[in-house]
Amino acid sequence: MTELIERDDAATEPPTVELSMQQAINRALRVLLAEDPATLVFGEDVGALGGVFRVTDGLQKEFGDQRVFDTPLAESAIMGMAVGLAMNGWRPVPELQFDGFAYPAVDQIVNQVARMNYRTRGAAPMPITLRLPSFGGIQAPEHHGESLEALFAHTPGLKVAAPSDAAEAYSLLLQSVRSDDPVVYMEPKARYWDRGPVELREPTDPIGTSRIVRHGRHATLIAWGAMVHRCLKVAELAAEDGVDLEVLDLRWLKPIDAAGLAASVSRTRRAVVVHEAPLTAGLGAEVAALVTENCFRDLAAPVQRVTGFDVPYPAGPLEPQYLPTIDRVLFAVQRTLEY
Amino acid sequence: MAEENVTFTLPDLGEGLVEATVLEWQVAVGDRVERNAPLVEVETTKSAVVIPSPKEGRIVELHAAEDEVVAVGAPLVTFAVAADAPQAGIVGRVPTEEARPARRVRLRPPAD
Repeated sequence: MTELIERDDAATEPPTVELSMQQAINRALRVLLAEDPATLVFGEDVGALGGVFRVTDGLQKEFGDQRVFDTPLAESAIMGMAVGLAMNGWRPVPELQFDGFAYPAVDQIVNQVARMNYRTRGAAPMPITLRLPSFGGIQAPEHHGESLEALFAHTPGLKVAAPSDAAEAYSLLLQSVRSDDPVVYMEPKARYWDRGPVELREPTDPIGTSRIVRHGRHATLIAWGAMVHRCLKVAELAAEDGVDLEVLDLRWLKPIDAAGLAASVSRTRRAVVVHEAPLTAGLGAEVAALVTENCFRDLAAPVQRVTGFDVPYPAGPLEPQYLPTIDRVLFAVQRTLEY
Repeated sequence: MAEENVTFTLPDLGEGLVEATVLEWQVAVGDRVERNAPLVEVETTKSAVVIPSPKEGRIVELHAAEDEVVAVGAPLVTFAVAADAPQAGIVGRVPTEEARPARRVRLRPPAD
């Protein structure tokens, strides 16, 4: 990794380093393991191998096999163990290797992790961060391209985060693990190799805030995870036509930043929400409802949704047709402009 | 670009196979190969199979001649790969990105 800025007084000015998203998550895990001896990292292949995407590379060597360890291939056991550890004062950071393999652990996540704090009147908080490599874009086989955000956002008691770049991955993970509430932290696999500057500093934006990654005046594109990058590409192309798009990275999918959404869309008067998950009952519907409730009088057009299709996630070669394409997003923008 | 050598050993191509015979190399020293491109055809006691290239890189050394028997776990081929190139995980591939993506839809700015 390249140190972009070397400063004499490293103690007061945290360095900015260029990292891939994989490396940024790895750095955040190192910070978290070092600062709290109760933090544990475990899952399939996260220890000796260092993770199938190298995200936990070197952690077992640095922190030992009592704190970074491999589990059997049993997702329900991984999450069940996290519950027991959390009840006994640990701060578990389990990984379920791929989105589609979270389904066997949904009972533990929904019936135990999300409810234990409520059920015990706060006696057993669940400071668990589930790291879940998520979404599509790497042409992997079935069960490796799913978008489960609507399921988890719909579950009371869970927080849900989805970073869009390396810097966001670093700070959102620090916040997620330090939170005493359970967080589903969805890592966009398609952006793992994407490199960018990461300030190794404490997060400043509160949990539940969105961010504007490009300012514009004609319409707001709303996205999270890998679709933020796609929307930025769309905005570049739209600018060639004289259309000035704002891009809002929602990043926290629960709680959702309703105020941030309203502030942006009230200015631009048009909104297009883009996600990989299927259309029906996807999180885009929630976003559209919030925008409509809060910006009804300001809207120049109905909120548009550009999403995956209402089909099972397709095999790798069909992925480029399934995921929202640049043209599909541009077309939705045009519909809002012409309404 | 800095390169490093990576040696690929013969994997167990069935359940409990111990060796395979090299039938035909489909690459030569010096060739550049893509990941998943055909690398070598080998024959085991079960069948003849083509092994796809596990890496993208340049072929540096073929460790067995044709008709030679290679033990499972013995070196098969050495690649020179870009030291800082993104390496795919065990599942899937690194997405490629067009600097200027193709588009068909054109926009008209709103009147207001």
